[in-house]
Parts: sequence; structure tokens; C-alpha cells
Amino acid sequence: MKFRCERDVLVEALGISGRAVSRGGLPGLSGVRAELAGDQLSLTGSDLDLTITIDVTVAGERDGVAVVPARLASDIVRALEPGAVSISAEADELSISAGRSNFSIRLIAADDFPQIAGLPEESVSLSCNQLAEALRQVIPAASGDDSRPILTGVLLAAEADGLRLVATDSYRLSMRDVAGVSVLAEGQSVLIPSRALNELNRILGQADKVELRLGEREASFEVGSVKLVTRLIEGEFPNYRGLIPDTHPNVLTVSRDELLDALRRVKLLARETTPVRLEMSEEGLELVAVTQDVGTAREQVEGSYVGSPLTVAFNPQYLLEGIEVAKAEQITLSTIDELKPALVRIAGVEEFLYLLMPVRVS
Amino acid sequence: MRLVIADCTVDYSGRLTAHLPRATRLLMVKADGCVAVHADGGAYKPLNWMNAPNVFTEYEDHWTVVSPKGEELLITLHSVLSDSVHDLGLDPGLQKDGVEAHLQELLALEPHHIERGMTLIRREFPTEIGPVDLLCRDPDGNTVAIEIKRRGEIDGVEQLTRYLDFLNRNPDLAPVRGLFVAQEIRPQARTLAGDRSIGTVEVDYDELRGIERPQQRLF
Repeated sequence: MKFRCERDVLVEALGISGRAVSRGGLPGLSGVRAELAGDQLSLTGSDLDLTITIDVTVAGERDGVAVVPARLASDIVRALEPGAVSISAEADELSISAGRSNFSIRLIAADDFPQIAGLPEESVSLSCNQLAEALRQVIPAASGDDSRPILTGVLLAAEADGLRLVATDSYRLSMRDVAGVSVLAEGQSVLIPSRALNELNRILGQADKVELRLGEREASFEVGSVKLVTRLIEGEFPNYRGLIPDTHPNVLTVSRDELLDALRRVKLLARETTPVRLEMSEEGLELVAVTQDVGTAREQVEGSYVGSPLTVAFNPQYLLEGIEVAKAEQITLSTIDELKPALVRIAGVEEFLYLLMPVRVS
Repeated sequence: MRLVIADCTVDYSGRLTAHLPRATRLLMVKADGCVAVHADGGAYKPLNWMNAPNVFTEYEDHWTVVSPKGEELLITLHSVLSDSVHDLGLDPGLQKDGVEAHLQELLALEPHHIERGMTLIRREFPTEIGPVDLLCRDPDGNTVAIEIKRRGEIDGVEQLTRYLDFLNRNPDLAPVRGLFVAQEIRPQARTLAGDRSIGTVEVDYDELRGIERPQQRLF
């Protein structure tokens, strides 16, 4: 394999494919598989759960396949002077040359690299912007704790009028409906690892459309020249519908930006496990954080409140993340009492909700 | 246990040679015959030592400790500042810390917290190399060996691997799968366990004790 290409093109391609490369584990998985056919170079990184392939156009001289140590190759190419880079793989060595710099590094045995599963030809086209926005709203609620794998995924479920995305870490739940999008058959749902969707979100800005293919155990997303394949999570997602209360007697309507700014300030005094208290009454909202031996923060936020005066406490980070993804001028916080789940919504919009359990305070 | 504080010089000869120049040190001679030379630092680690069995010979101004392989520790005593002997009696052995022992006790009572449908066969199930914390049966009738730690580190996975090796030699129990259970499992331990087909489960100590956490859950 031999080719020339611009350093920046190669840096970006190695960076994108390298994001799926395994940290530790099988030796073959620490590499990026490079395959050159004519002027098309495909770089693939995989950790068996997630595989990312990117195609770039280079000046090809000799076709071939090589598995290069991902981190080292990326660090070398990134450190080179801007301009053209020559790459050549001979036997078990990769040569990287640019200007007066020459590197020779040992290749990884190509046989050690995993075979990537094939996926159905049939694909569904989705708007990148629409999907990116929906993913941004639900991914933060997915769990990062691998001991409960089901909660590390985002549920994609077919709904009568479109696609529903749901994620929960058991403390909060985020749900977004995307109307008019038909990806799955009626009643079908799949659970996609949030890590893969996070990576997908990084590349969604590169094109207008994303092609989605669903296999029995894998899903693939194709965005421009990048293809991301992820395994699906097997298992039953919690029955989230039963968690969402039908009615909330108390509703606070506030400016999202004002609440967000105030919360960020008050959060400075909410250390570690300290919750932030929301004191709601007809006069509006007051945020309070008290940390023993550190201090107190209070801030009033204008807003309209309908219901009985109520003080409810939340983990400030969870609340912040819910408000951050509710991008609108006005949002509502609906509550029942100080112990039952509260609901963050965009005022007048049904497509999104963020359900959050309060923190018990004395 | 004999404790001697002495101004001494120490020479070791064996696989290599080592010399400790003249200084005041603690010389520890244990009842089992082990001899260790300690400085006033370096935590638990001796500067030099000779494990039992060995031949300990005491002369007026020096000691020699010779191992069966011919390694020799020569301790030259320039002056002895203190020399005392204490009978420590029979050691009761290492007790697991309170949380770990309590975790084991709670999970033995309610093994379904580890995995749905799990039932206990025996707590502290003996193997040739020590007892495995819990031996359970899963709903499919398979035997499951469970090692419980407060913090799940790589050494805990290694320990469970050794137990599984022995347990799987028992035709009445085999096949035995392993589960590594801890309050918190380090990523490296999780990776190693996965590589060895050992399952990992994190458990909430407070929840097991029935203590309500301030941060409530939706489910």
C-alpha cells in the first residue's frame, strides 16, 4: 500500500476512525485498518462494539491493506509539518514521510483485525439536524454505568406518528418524539448504546442526511463519507410510560436562559451531594443551595407559578442538564410534591420531556 | 517475636550481593524463623530479610542466617541498644474489613440482589486454596462462584479466577461461572473480568442495608 495525501486530511480521518479504537483489549483492536483501492482510502477503527469507517480521497500509488497502531500513527501525522504526507506499508512496517521527517513503525497483523458484520442494503434516510437535536436532548439522561447495560442505551421506538427516543439512568428520563420519521416497523424498538450515538452526534454536522440501516444485532449510520456501525443492546428497556405522571398540579413557567444562568451560579455552592432547593410560590422562584461549613447561595428568578407553594430539591447537575437540552425561550417545571418526579418541558411543546426525581431533604 | 535495635552492618550474599553500611536498625526475628532488617522508614518493607526455613546462628558480635539454597545474611552488631522478646501468641488471621464482611453477609441473605433468581448454596465455600465468598445457583441450575469486595480491583478478579479453576475441577459443581461483586468496580478489573468471562455486578451497600438515599430513583 502506498499513497500521498494532505496531512490535515489524514489527521482528521485518523481522528474519526480512531475514536472507535479499543483502549486495551485485543492487540488487533488497537489499530486502524487502512485499505487503499485506487485513490480511495478507507480507515476503520473498532472495539467490537463500535466500528467507525471513513473514506478519503488520496493520491494512490499501490493498493493494499495494513493495520496501523492508531494512537502512534495519529500522533506522528499530527506532529508533521503541514503539507503532503507519504505513506507506504511494506511487509510489517509502515513508513510515514513528510518534508525532512521519516518514521518507520511496526504494523499490526491484519488478521488480528475483526471482521465487520454485514448489514441489510435497505436504508432509511433521516435529517441530520433533526436527529442531532433529538440525540442532544436524550443522550445526557443515559447511564454511564456499565453494570446496568440496558440503561447505557437510547431506546428508539416506533410511535404512531413517528420515532421516539428515550434514555434513562433511573434518576432522570429524557424523551423526544420526532414526528413524521418512520425508521422502524410498527411496534418495533431497538436499544442503541449512547456511546455510539455520542460519536454519531459528532459527525452529524458533516452532511444533511444520515442513512440508517438496522440489522438483527447491529445498526449502521452513514453520514457522508463516514460509516458508524454499532452493536445493539439486548434486553428489555424499563417500562418508561408508567413512570410519567398524568397530571402535575403545580406548574412553574420561567425563562429558560434566566433559570439556567441562576442555576449555574447557585450550583457553585452546591458541593458534591448537596442539592439545590427550588422554593416556588406565586411570587416566583427562589433557588437555594446551602453547604455546611462552606456557605449559602440564593437567587430569585422571575416566573409564573400556578399551584400550592412548594419547595423541592434536585441534584443540580441533573436539573441543569435537563434545562440545557430544553432549548426554548420559556420552559415549564411541573411538580406534584417534594418527593414525586418533576417534569421539565418546553412551554407549549409536547415532543420533549425530561423527568427528574427530586432529592429527599429534611 | 524478638526485637533488637542495634548499630549494625548487613551483608547479603546469594543470587546477588548487597551491603547495608553501618547504621542503627531494627532487627526482627519472628517465631517462625524469619529475620527482617528494618530502617526507620520505607513503610512495611524491610531493607533485607530471610524467610523461613533457615538456619539462624547467633554469635557474640554477629548473626548469620543461611537459607537452604545457600543464601546468607550476615548481620554484624557493633552495639545493641535494645533487645526484647515478646510472646504474641496465636494470630487470629486477617479479618475482612467491616463493610466487606457485612456485604457478604447481606448478599448471602438476599443473593437475588446480585442476579435475579439466584439462590445460595453455601457461604465461604471451601476450595483447596481458600474459601470462595458465596457459592450460588442461578435460575438455570448452574453453579455460580461469587467473590465480594468493597472495591473491585484486578487482584480480586485474579483471586476469583483461581477459585474457578479449582471449582471447575469438581465434576459435581462444574461448570461453575464466576461473578465479581463489589460496591465499585475499577475499569481495569471489569475489563479483565470480561476477558475471562467473569461477570461483574456493582451493589449498593446502603440500599442493601435498607438505608434510603436522598437521591431517589424513578424505578
